Amino acid sequence: MATKQGRGVSAQALDKSQLLHMYEQMKTIREFEERASKEFASGKLPGFVHLYAGEEAVAVGVCAHLTDDDYITSHHRGHGHCIAKGVSLREMVAELLGREAGACRGKGGSMHIADVNKGMLGANGIVGGGFPLADGAGLTAKYNGKGQVAVCFFGDGAGNQGTFHEGLNLAGIWKLPVIFVAENNGYAESTPVTYHMSCRDIADRAAGYNMPGVTVDGLDVFAVYEAAGEAVARARRGDGPSLIECKTYRYHGHFEGDTITYRTKEEEESYHARDPIQSFHRALVERSIATAREMDAIDKKVQDSIDLAWEFGEAAPYPSPEEALTDVYVKYP
Amino acid sequence: MSSPLVGIIANPASGRDIRRLVAHGTVFDNNEKTAIVRRVLVALEAVGIRRVAYMPEHDFGILPRALTALNDHTFSLEAAPLEMPVLGTSADSTRAAQQLAALGAGCIITLGGDGTNRAVARGCGAVPLVPISTGTNNVFPTFLEGTIAGMAAGLVARNMRDGKAVIRQVPRLEVHIDGVAVESALVDVVVSSLPFVGARALWDTSVVREVVLARVIPGAIGFSALGGALLDSSYARGECTGMHIVLGADSPEVLVPLAPGLVTWVGVAEHRWLAMDDVVRFHSGTGTLALDGEREIELSPASIVEVQLCADGPYVVDVPATLEGAALAGHLSRKQVE
Repeated sequence: MATKQGRGVSAQALDKSQLLHMYEQMKTIREFEERASKEFASGKLPGFVHLYAGEEAVAVGVCAHLTDDDYITSHHRGHGHCIAKGVSLREMVAELLGREAGACRGKGGSMHIADVNKGMLGANGIVGGGFPLADGAGLTAKYNGKGQVAVCFFGDGAGNQGTFHEGLNLAGIWKLPVIFVAENNGYAESTPVTYHMSCRDIADRAAGYNMPGVTVDGLDVFAVYEAAGEAVARARRGDGPSLIECKTYRYHGHFEGDTITYRTKEEEESYHARDPIQSFHRALVERSIATAREMDAIDKKVQDSIDLAWEFGEAAPYPSPEEALTDVYVKYP
Repeated sequence: MSSPLVGIIANPASGRDIRRLVAHGTVFDNNEKTAIVRRVLVALEAVGIRRVAYMPEHDFGILPRALTALNDHTFSLEAAPLEMPVLGTSADSTRAAQQLAALGAGCIITLGGDGTNRAVARGCGAVPLVPISTGTNNVFPTFLEGTIAGMAAGLVARNMRDGKAVIRQVPRLEVHIDGVAVESALVDVVVSSLPFVGARALWDTSVVREVVLARVIPGAIGFSALGGALLDSSYARGECTGMHIVLGADSPEVLVPLAPGLVTWVGVAEHRWLAMDDVVRFHSGTGTLALDGEREIELSPASIVEVQLCADGPYVVDVPATLEGAALAGHLSRKQVE
């Protein structure tokens, strides 16, 4: 019997408004991160920040297939995932600033932003901490039987953690609707992937857990969109988990303040020359999908929304000291 | 006279495209490629090859890893990387092939898919290829056991074969856009309505408009299989080589293995055989041009795309015929050694 072909999830299916929305999200992530970098350098932000600039095509290309009913788990570099999943910019900024109006009432900061109403189950300070959470979300989705999926974003360093292998194995044997999205930016903190990983591609490891694994250009939002579309459709059909490895690059250091002595200028320049947002912008204009003026208007709108979010966050009050005793497991006193 | 040189171009990036997700594409991780190369090297040495030059790459190091594992072996073969910059793109394969041709290599073994071999063919000139498939959807390279491939390549490089035609030149397709030759394909050129290169592979025939095949090979997979399903007496008479196919939704259908584990009915509105030097002009329109199975070129509505079937493609070693010829010539026999 011939195989029945599934409906293609190509970028051809995207209409103008969807394409422009994706561009706006990518641009928002970039501008959000650049502003966070600036504010961190000025000493306004408590704790560490790990910035997502350069990797925007991954979060946006994947989350374009998700609704608020779908779940994602993130990691320490989670701002991009929050924005792509629809978390409020104002609540994100307030959270970074430790204010009560923050997404987690100012208690989480950059590495623990969550918004369960948007299906964003949390950034995570534990490397590899998202795998078991995504499996749990996937089990919930399977139990609910409504076609929900869970996406687990993780980095190349997390791909060597025990939780990666446990998480993929469990998803494989229980056929969970989970899409594991590797954001391989070439470095686990400062250690190059060529040193720290025993295989070249994280996607190769999928076969060991009875799921398909593919590698795509993580700088190309269309490539990510197509692969994610197939994986999400597969999970919604009940065909189980997939692993998508996106080869990408982070523009900033591992954390703000990282002196980045482990990369060459030539390498950085080669990636900037393939900037995912500029490439997307060029594709939309050259294909006459949008005019340069329309794109400028989006850029302006993005900048305004970031400015407003920071005004909101900075004006928001800090939580009262008593707040430290709420949302904890033990009642005090 | 220096001893014969064999080249190895192993692409660390082949074999992990989206067809693993949309179909049931094969998995070729780089540790397996390393194991294949190891078998190739042992076989090369066994047939008397002492010099190997290979394409360097920075992201995995297939050849160095293969050689490391042979340290315990009493190994009389020397393998060295070519002196060339590493860009991490298909240009590396082309540059390596050019250098091997300039160094007088007697044979080049490739590990990759159709795309890898397309890049090699751009630079290898008349040096014959032994292409080992480690890609997803391959027509040009075949699934060869590394040991056998290594033996055949070594025998060809040492000219240890009889006079039979164990090396044949295969055709290629030259792509012209607005009158300028821009690219070449070894297997097929496909025009689709997909506007972007995206995930590169094509797996949904509803977006495919036209197909040009360099050769019609029964038993092939991918869009090349369309030709296999449309065979007629012209093929039996060996009169024609390539084929031009126009797809149509409401047309008679043929059953096509489009990708590993993906067999589908495809409507064919019209098709015709192509003789050498024939030119096909595609209908204009926005879309992408896929070469050897991967979207490579984004087209503007005004682009005029022409594809010409050319006889001057790369030379390829017929592995079984080479071994047969070597056996018949006595190269695989010797008197018993005490």
